[in-house]
Amino acid sequence: MTKRLSLSLIWPPVLIAALFLGAWQLLVIANDIQPYLLPAPSLIAENFTSDVSLMWAAAYYTGTTAFLGLVFGTIAALIMSLLAQRLIVVNRLITPLAAGLATVPIIALTPILNNMFNITSRTPRVLVTMIIVLFPMFVNVTRGLLQVQPVQLELMRSLNAKPRMTLRVLRIPNAIPFFFTGLKIAAPLAVIAALVAEYFGGPQEGLGSRIAGAAANTAYGRAWAYVVASIITGLIFYLIVVALEKWTTPWTGRSRST
Amino acid sequence: MSNVPAGGQAVSVEGLWKIFNEGASNEVTALSDVSLTIIAGEFISLIGPSGCGKSTLLRVIGDLTDASRGVVEVAGVSPHEARVQQLYGIAFQQAALFDWRTVVKNVELPLELLGWDKKRRAARALELLEMVQLADFANHRPWELSGGMQQRVAIARSLAVDPPLLLMDEPFGALDEMTRERMQNELLRIRLETGKTIVFVTHSIPEAVYLSDRVVVMSARPGRITGIVDINLGERNEDTRETDAFYSGVTEVREALRGRSAGGNHTRIGEV
Repeated sequence: MTKRLSLSLIWPPVLIAALFLGAWQLLVIANDIQPYLLPAPSLIAENFTSDVSLMWAAAYYTGTTAFLGLVFGTIAALIMSLLAQRLIVVNRLITPLAAGLATVPIIALTPILNNMFNITSRTPRVLVTMIIVLFPMFVNVTRGLLQVQPVQLELMRSLNAKPRMTLRVLRIPNAIPFFFTGLKIAAPLAVIAALVAEYFGGPQEGLGSRIAGAAANTAYGRAWAYVVASIITGLIFYLIVVALEKWTTPWTGRSRST
Repeated sequence: MSNVPAGGQAVSVEGLWKIFNEGASNEVTALSDVSLTIIAGEFISLIGPSGCGKSTLLRVIGDLTDASRGVVEVAGVSPHEARVQQLYGIAFQQAALFDWRTVVKNVELPLELLGWDKKRRAARALELLEMVQLADFANHRPWELSGGMQQRVAIARSLAVDPPLLLMDEPFGALDEMTRERMQNELLRIRLETGKTIVFVTHSIPEAVYLSDRVVVMSARPGRITGIVDINLGERNEDTRETDAFYSGVTEVREALRGRSAGGNHTRIGEV
């Protein structure tokens, strides 16, 4: 049953993708569109398959940056959320700050961090990714910690539970689905942030550097092959989060009866 | 109910006032000069229209909210002390189960907070699930259960620490009529088995009459007790709801709710 279900979930997007790529290929060939305008899917595939090891290496580099940023950004967000749920003052202080931080453009932030930290290291890129990850994680987790059913809080009070017990027994488990909602947004964002941060100098082995480099050399097919590698990296991040969620929170995704 | 041990005062309320936003322009008097004594082993229902303060009275007894004026004692101590000592269990209209815990882990919760070790609390929780006839569902998740079953889990949880007093705030309010009547019988059986004192908030007249030894009738604006109806239906069974004594109890409570209880705020029903 599950096999049929998953098959029926998979074939529609595959079909759509095939139709889309077919139309794209036809459009390019029929109108003789030049690669610098729009490279044909066949050209991108050719570049991708001929350079698979390079693709992998670039995706690995950027993926590592994204992963580190995601981990540190999430840890920072969790600490902030725990403080915010305990002290309303901290909540009022941190929330606008986090929102402000989230609106700072990467293109403004990265050069500054490149100057502040060692540009030849991964550090500034990890920091950029952290900042991007921080906001969706903080907002979602804080909400999960605070948005507890009032009747459940009354129950905890009737059981003479101290705030720390209530946090452990009620608020944190309640926040887990919210945590994953944040992570589903933050994980692909982390890949994009890690990639864009590579546009401002520093080591050249990541996806962002490769896309920029290939485009500068008018190797549009190769540039797009790296774009495909980036998409795959982002999707892998997303799917890992989805799998983690399924595995750790068997109680979500059910239809609520109350 | 002869095999329910009768004893001293389980709850005593003396001149209780509850005023929300006292002194502010949106001041509301939820309870005005309420006095009530509940004897150990008694089943008391609080009934009245919305806003009559019946839930507030229950919440004051449970120390979920403060009294503005007056003295409340639970088992001879203050509500706060009673809550700290876990002298009562509580069940709400919503089952308030934790979705991330299995049924048995939900029942274990009060014991876990008290620091019982795993084995002991699991054994106690299973015993309680057997009492509410849900032992087969111990490892299910709450959302896999029907509303009535969830409420039975909540009742089992409220009995976990074996408190002498059970506070129930419209626990069957969200259930359909058939389930509701089954749950009422179940509750009476549990009461017979455990001898708990029960304070039960409801706005169903038949429910109050069927379950209670005494029905406390309240009216709104300001919330106050307008009458207490004694019920004496003896041992309840399938036919109880069709007896004349039951009907006259229902009529009596209905009259009291309409403020017709001529002068007397104490009537006796179904005296054999």
